[in-house]
Amino acid sequence: MNRKVIPFIIAFVLSCLVMVVSGVFAFSGIVTAQKFGSNTAWTQPYSTAESMKVIDLTGDGQNELFIQNINNVTAFDGSGNILWSHNYNQLKTTLGDFNGDGIEDVIVFYSGGVDVIINGQIRTLVTGLPIGTPSRVALIRFASGPQIILGDMSSGLLAIDLNGQILWSDDIGNQEIRGMDDARIGGQIHLAVASYDGGVYVIDSNGQTLWSNGSSQLRRMRAFDLNADGNSEVITGSEYGDFYIYSAKDGSVIFNKSLGQAVSEVREVELDGDPSSREIVVGGKDGGVWAFSYDGTTARQIWSGSLSDKVTEISGLDIDEDGKQEAVIGDDAGVIAVFTADGTRNNLPTHSTGITRVDIGKLGNERYVVVADYNEVQTQKVTLSAIPGFTYTPLIVGILVSAVILVIAGILSSIPPKPEMKVSFQDKSKESLDAQRRMLKEHIADVERLRKSGEMAGDAYLARLKRLRGDLAENEAAFKAAGYNIKAETFNCPNCGGTLELGMDKCEYCGQVILA
Amino acid sequence: MFVFCGIAVVVVILFFYLLNTARKKTPAPTRAGKKDYTPVYISIADKPDSIMRGMDEFKSKVEKTETAGDKWRWIPMIIFFVGVGLVLIDVLLLVFGYFSLVFSGGAFLLWIASFIMARSLRKSDSHDFSPRYKGLKEILHTLRDDLKPDSTFLGHLDLTGAMLPTKVARETKDAQDRTTQHFADQWLSLKAKLYDGNVLRVNAIQKTKNRKSYWKRSRISGKMKSKPEKFKGAEQELKVRIVVNPQAYKIVPNPTFRQGQNIGKYTIAELNTEGGMINIVAKSPFEEVEQDHILNFLKSAYSLLQRKTA
Repeated sequence: MNRKVIPFIIAFVLSCLVMVVSGVFAFSGIVTAQKFGSNTAWTQPYSTAESMKVIDLTGDGQNELFIQNINNVTAFDGSGNILWSHNYNQLKTTLGDFNGDGIEDVIVFYSGGVDVIINGQIRTLVTGLPIGTPSRVALIRFASGPQIILGDMSSGLLAIDLNGQILWSDDIGNQEIRGMDDARIGGQIHLAVASYDGGVYVIDSNGQTLWSNGSSQLRRMRAFDLNADGNSEVITGSEYGDFYIYSAKDGSVIFNKSLGQAVSEVREVELDGDPSSREIVVGGKDGGVWAFSYDGTTARQIWSGSLSDKVTEISGLDIDEDGKQEAVIGDDAGVIAVFTADGTRNNLPTHSTGITRVDIGKLGNERYVVVADYNEVQTQKVTLSAIPGFTYTPLIVGILVSAVILVIAGILSSIPPKPEMKVSFQDKSKESLDAQRRMLKEHIADVERLRKSGEMAGDAYLARLKRLRGDLAENEAAFKAAGYNIKAETFNCPNCGGTLELGMDKCEYCGQVILA
Repeated sequence: MFVFCGIAVVVVILFFYLLNTARKKTPAPTRAGKKDYTPVYISIADKPDSIMRGMDEFKSKVEKTETAGDKWRWIPMIIFFVGVGLVLIDVLLLVFGYFSLVFSGGAFLLWIASFIMARSLRKSDSHDFSPRYKGLKEILHTLRDDLKPDSTFLGHLDLTGAMLPTKVARETKDAQDRTTQHFADQWLSLKAKLYDGNVLRVNAIQKTKNRKSYWKRSRISGKMKSKPEKFKGAEQELKVRIVVNPQAYKIVPNPTFRQGQNIGKYTIAELNTEGGMINIVAKSPFEEVEQDHILNFLKSAYSLLQRKTA
């Protein structure tokens, strides 16, 4: 093939490859230039929020912001004005429709007592309960009727009805209750509870343990019905990085993975927009972030990322309204980051103190990300800016690269080939060829004489001999080409191709034994 | 950070590689006796005019290849800067808060392309032709009128290098077990039937000594250190044989051409005139001996011949 054509063929193939790859990038839509930003709507001082939720507490169809810390519970309206605020000592709260009016109420568990705040008004349900320092509280709607489950710092459990009557009590360990959630088994609601000791329990409405499981010390437990089959999955994260998904039905392990650092938060976020699979985002004490996808039978890790400090809160928000939620994650250093479905991290403005809670919801007419840090609570309107048409830039880059490749091919093919560095000036007359042959034989004899007298090393002898014999073979070829009779005195080694003298039975260059 | 630094180092290296390609900067000779010349081997079996014409054509072909590449030498550098421009677009996007690697990816491909082009251009480069190349032409030009009509010069000009592994004549070891290689490079071999019926053979050999690199334990630190190879010098040897036509000449002694006599850069080491042949071995301590000295030596060797009267 013409050597001028070869560079063009290679360049054409490469250009096609480049264009195919750029086409894949361009039309798959994975190349985007977008940035997340935020505008603050309002800020209110509030110290170290433990619980926060954007929810309608008044029944007016407008959400309020419920927020609670260790000694206060407050509700703000959509504009950041305080609707009501009450102080307690060492309280824990949960939200639920206590009185069945369809409006969420606040259940407050404090030292020995339980209050219910309905539309800002406090109603004391019970006091003097035989339970320790509050750790967790949940309103569980069992089939037999709703119960308020109280958990204390020494793993004590106490269930009361909506009148404050004690129904049952239990003790699942010695340390703090770290997780309390409702878990469905066969569509029926049960209580899932876990203590820092490592025990995970699923308990029915009578306080009977259906199953329990012990592992290393637990920091987080959540229960979700990930595949909506009426049986929840209980997710735990331990002090030593063990991440488990149990079946709420029988406690069997569906998935487990060691994450290498203590698990500080677990939340469900619909990252891929595919309702047939659910995504779980896990935060670590050292800033690790992992996303898992659960398809109904098992889970798989889809990406991992990191923040610079302990992950304190995870929340999901569909910022770009593409049907996929982004994970809004806060850490103890005050960083708020948005992780997209493919794990790309985008930072929002950093807070001066650690983030304690993040929630997302509609306040007034806008959806806000509400961020609470150690000093204040702030509502932010998160925005997404994208360069229009950027997804097609790979095509432009591909065309540029392809053009350069073709230009290079054109230039290289215009350069003539470098001549061989072995040149032979040979007269084709018989006398000249004869004379050359004689001289080559003299040279060969010279080389052999030098070898015998020790004036030439073995490698040099072979190399010189190989060249002279090669010249001799060329001389024979020239004889034949000119039509003169010549008795061939050389042949080529069938193994290495080196020229040898007729009659040799072993190649001096490669050692091949020659039988012919 | 480590990855970023690694990429930056590779880009800087690529920049200087392309810059040297563009400026056609060739490395300086690393040591004496090893200046790089075009490694050419010429087999001679032709009439002098054909050989000289062929040598000129060959040289012009090599130079044409080089000239053809020369006008494009800055193109890889330009492509490199186009790549830098693409990276800067990504940087600009980053400044505005958008993260993109699309243009940097294109820059990476362009840099690979520029590297490939620079390599190809460098392949078309050639070193200077050795002065011996021109020297052979001079010798052939001078001797062409003395050549028997219709006969040819035979032999070779080997400019592939004096210190190739295949040219090691022997190796010696000193008291410290250091190896010295002795190279014998027969760079010129020429045989010609002359007009006067004599047969002239000329062989020029460069003998070079080079001590190989070796490991030595430092007397102070006790560490093993690698010592580089050392060029120990070179000398030239000229072997001339004239098979005398007894009908035309008789060999006579000449006091100005005897053993130990200096002829130009050469000193006659051996002289033998027995058997109707003149065999001369002359040596020169110079690393390079020009063609004038070889021709002058041949002319002087002819002073041993006295033309017979008819």
